Amino acid sequence: MSPPVGPPRRQHLIGAWLLLSGLSLFGGAFLALWLESRLAPAGAERIALWGGCLVGAGLLFLLGLLLERRLFAPLRHLQVQIARMVASPDARDDYRPEGWLSGLGPDLLRLREHWRQDRSQLAGAHAAGARGAARIRQELEALLQVLDTPLLLCDRHRRLLLFNQAAEALFSEHPGFGLGKRLEGLFDLASLSEALDRLPADGTSRELLVPLKDRWLHGCLRRVPNSDHETLITLTDSTAAWHCEMDTRVRLTECLTAVRRHGAGLSSAAEALGHLHSSTHATNRATNRATGHKHDQETQLPAAPSIPSHEALPAASLGSREAPLSSRLADIIDEESQGLGQAIDQLGKSLEALQRQGERLAPLWSNDLWQALNDHLAGSSLVLTPIGMPAWFKADAPALLVMLEALTSRLGELAEVRHLDAEVCLGNRRVYLDLIWLGTPMTQHQLAGWKALRLDALPLSPRIEDLLHQHDSDLWSLQDPDGRHARLRCPLPAVERVGAPLTRPSPRPEFHDFGIADLPPPEAELAACPLAQLEVVAFDTETTGLALRQDDRVISIGACRIVNGRLLADDTFDVRVDPGRPIPPASTAIHGLTDSDVLGAPPLSQALPRFRDYLGDAVILAHNAAFDLLALQSPGAEVALNMPVLDTLLLSRALDPSLDGHDLDSLADRYALSFAEGTRHTALGDARVTAELWLAMRTRLEARGVQTLADALALQSSAFDHQDASA
Amino acid sequence: MAKVLVVDDEPNIVLSLEFLMQQAGFEVVTAEDGESALTRVAEAPPDLVLLDISLPGISGFDVLERLRANPTLTRLPIIMLTAHGREVEREKGLALGADDYITKPFSTQALVDKVKTLLDESAA
Repeated sequence: MSPPVGPPRRQHLIGAWLLLSGLSLFGGAFLALWLESRLAPAGAERIALWGGCLVGAGLLFLLGLLLERRLFAPLRHLQVQIARMVASPDARDDYRPEGWLSGLGPDLLRLREHWRQDRSQLAGAHAAGARGAARIRQELEALLQVLDTPLLLCDRHRRLLLFNQAAEALFSEHPGFGLGKRLEGLFDLASLSEALDRLPADGTSRELLVPLKDRWLHGCLRRVPNSDHETLITLTDSTAAWHCEMDTRVRLTECLTAVRRHGAGLSSAAEALGHLHSSTHATNRATNRATGHKHDQETQLPAAPSIPSHEALPAASLGSREAPLSSRLADIIDEESQGLGQAIDQLGKSLEALQRQGERLAPLWSNDLWQALNDHLAGSSLVLTPIGMPAWFKADAPALLVMLEALTSRLGELAEVRHLDAEVCLGNRRVYLDLIWLGTPMTQHQLAGWKALRLDALPLSPRIEDLLHQHDSDLWSLQDPDGRHARLRCPLPAVERVGAPLTRPSPRPEFHDFGIADLPPPEAELAACPLAQLEVVAFDTETTGLALRQDDRVISIGACRIVNGRLLADDTFDVRVDPGRPIPPASTAIHGLTDSDVLGAPPLSQALPRFRDYLGDAVILAHNAAFDLLALQSPGAEVALNMPVLDTLLLSRALDPSLDGHDLDSLADRYALSFAEGTRHTALGDARVTAELWLAMRTRLEARGVQTLADALALQSSAFDHQDASA
Repeated sequence: MAKVLVVDDEPNIVLSLEFLMQQAGFEVVTAEDGESALTRVAEAPPDLVLLDISLPGISGFDVLERLRANPTLTRLPIIMLTAHGREVEREKGLALGADDYITKPFSTQALVDKVKTLLDESAA
């Protein structure tokens, strides 16, 4: 890129002109003196000689004056005019070309009018199209906003493109939430990355449980078809209303247990009755038939010694009269109780299947659970170390988390350990969550006490036993084969589709094999980013004075953000800073801030990290950035601002080297920008104008082939070099 | 004659089981809760235990664990009886050292067969 070419600088021209005029004047004077000494003219001849010798210098002076007045000054005005026309085409303070350029007046006027006409026609057509689009958009926006389901849309780099009101309400306090921010800032989850990487392109959804502070969200992820890898995420707060279903299940299970018990009593009794019948029948027949069969009788009787004779006798006498009917009835009871038993078994299996497929139980990645558990345990001295292979399983994550927290803290106290290992073992259709410690296993008696504990952190304060039921689970404790470690085991339903260990090497998608190392590094990606898509944070500082290298300090930092070519209205940073010294009245006269205004404000060492957080991944923009950056690098504030820096002062110099006036006021005037009432010389007000200045300049930069951040930085540094060389 | 200890708090089932096991030729001792079951075993160890899980006081799992904790009883055959019928309970019972596990309602014939098989195995 070549440096821009324009008329020479005014100072250079005037210097050259005065130098030439001076030289000719002295040259003419010397010539006149020399001729006078040679020719010794007198009177009118002498006047003519001097006149002749000095006329050249005079002509040169007049010519220079004429050129500056009639040509160069009008040229500079024309340059400003054209710059303004490009930057803000609709500004109305036009003026006609002067001097020798006044002939261009009508043409320029015509050009400007046509340019404005075209623009207004274009704007009209654009507005008509936009109105149609806006109507559709409004309807869609209204739909999105009234939708109760929190909804997020992110691009291929997982940056947030869209969210609705429900999502905003859900994440209202979250610092990682905002347009253009990355999803990883919102949910720091390995499983989320994994799920996003593996999302099918056809829009089929994947489900995931996502922890958010004290809640768990049930997320549904799907790729938007026909988009550039955009992902739609809908969320449901799964912490609410789970208890209702659990309650029903518990009752059903208890009821089934009772039915089983009664069924068992019934069928055993029926079988016993059957046996009794056949034996008394046989006895009856024996006594009825003959007296010579005493031997048979003796072999039969000891078989039923516990049946008292007074009970046996009526049955026997009954049997003697209505044997066929009573034995048939006994058979019926036996048969029916067997049928009942089978039906109960069937019912039990159905209930178990229902439990396993329960929609409250959602797939959960073990490492996420351990991480969340460690977060919950952060206040206690207990540390959990996940070991072995991670796995997917199904759980009601919020409830499970509360339960495990209660269990681990009690286990820590009981076993007097501060460190537990956590392992996931794979069983048959089940995954075992094991907590492992150095010591002996717990007894069932101890566990029974724990199972009766109520968890008040959950709605309805369920007992641990209820939660175990909900998960079709239980607790038991085992000694490890090494004899030194013991484990507490909690089985949970496995997720069918990933029953095998997830870490099993799977066939890799092609892009994993090629390329990761060949991809440009993130910095290079940023350098090639088109200016229009650059995320920029414009900032400004107010200070106690200009002697930053001595003892002047920052008293206010203001910043605003440009995302995708738009200055975001309410995404601002405006913080006062305690300078740790009095604010001089001369400085107050500029920005209006007094000592009482910064009373109680944080020192720079606290304000700067917050500013760094606000910056995020954005590029810095400031007017005369060197000053503001120096202001932020005051002693005691060790925060690196190592992102690329754009400077509107340097860019303006590079764009218009022949013009004077590159201060913020002159540029605001040149680009027809205005400060909001009373905001000039406030950090945020100046930052906003700097941001708008950047947006106005960007058009002119792009017209000169400056398309990317790298281009802009190169142009800026050329202006910097230029300034250095001429200084 | 092999001695079988039946531990269950349901008198109806105990009565039927006692009769049926006697019919099958076993000597039957009964206990209606966990504590008395442990006492019966301490007095005279049986050859096999039929142990219900839901008992008043200490649970069947608890009894199982205490029996297995006694080194002289590690080979005593124990069959768990349960009205819950949950697969995970079966796993837990087997993990804690039960030899078999029967869900209520059960077929007595199947129970008698299991008792006979286990007694044969422990005798071998």
